[in-house]
Amino acid sequence: MRRILIIDDEDDIREVAALSLESMAGWHVTTASSGAEGIRAALADPPDAILMDVMMPMMDGPTTFKEMQAIPAIAHIPVLLLTAKVQGVDQRRFAGLGVAAVLFKPFDPLTLASQMSTALGWTT
Amino acid sequence: MAPPTANPDVTRELLARLWERSLPVVRERLDVLDSAAAAAINNALTDDIRSHAIAEAHKLAGSLGMFGYSEGTELARGIEVLLESAGAPPADRLSTLATSLRVSLFPSA
Repeated sequence: MRRILIIDDEDDIREVAALSLESMAGWHVTTASSGAEGIRAALADPPDAILMDVMMPMMDGPTTFKEMQAIPAIAHIPVLLLTAKVQGVDQRRFAGLGVAAVLFKPFDPLTLASQMSTALGWTT
Repeated sequence: MAPPTANPDVTRELLARLWERSLPVVRERLDVLDSAAAAAINNALTDDIRSHAIAEAHKLAGSLGMFGYSEGTELARGIEVLLESAGAPPADRLSTLATSLRVSLFPSA
């Protein structure tokens, strides 16, 4: 079973994403509501992939990603950024960070898992 | 292709429950946008009010579509773009968008 860590400061996004991945893909999901909490969670129990919001207070998604990249124990975990920014300049900036993929809000809860699988090259 | 465990009906049902649970927060966010529109009409749109409204519009834009309210996402995105633009936003347009957003979510209210 795939294990996913969702990092997002918004309760409704975390809940819908978790519900989506659990009920549509049968994945095991854990959540964190901040970048710092997400790093601690990833270190404590490294997931197969991380789905993380871009805009978060204190430490945003790109900053959290860079912090993770500096920690060898979790640097290998693929990260998918989730953003509601639709401007091309933002999309290119996020994609240029080296993340596995940039996904967009609002996502479709019925297809989020398949979107992630495709982006990560997962066949199951 | 969806895995064997996929259960769209259960997912939809649970989503409907989550939507019901999130309604108080959604209404608070709409109130913030209404307040910003009212402030703009009265030439009283401060940076704080504007920043707060941009943040709430952004959150609505990113979440409403998950619950099937695609028009709500587009309207919220329009408000966010309007408020992020340089200079004073057109108050009438802002007010119209805020009203349309509320109606798109709660047509009978």
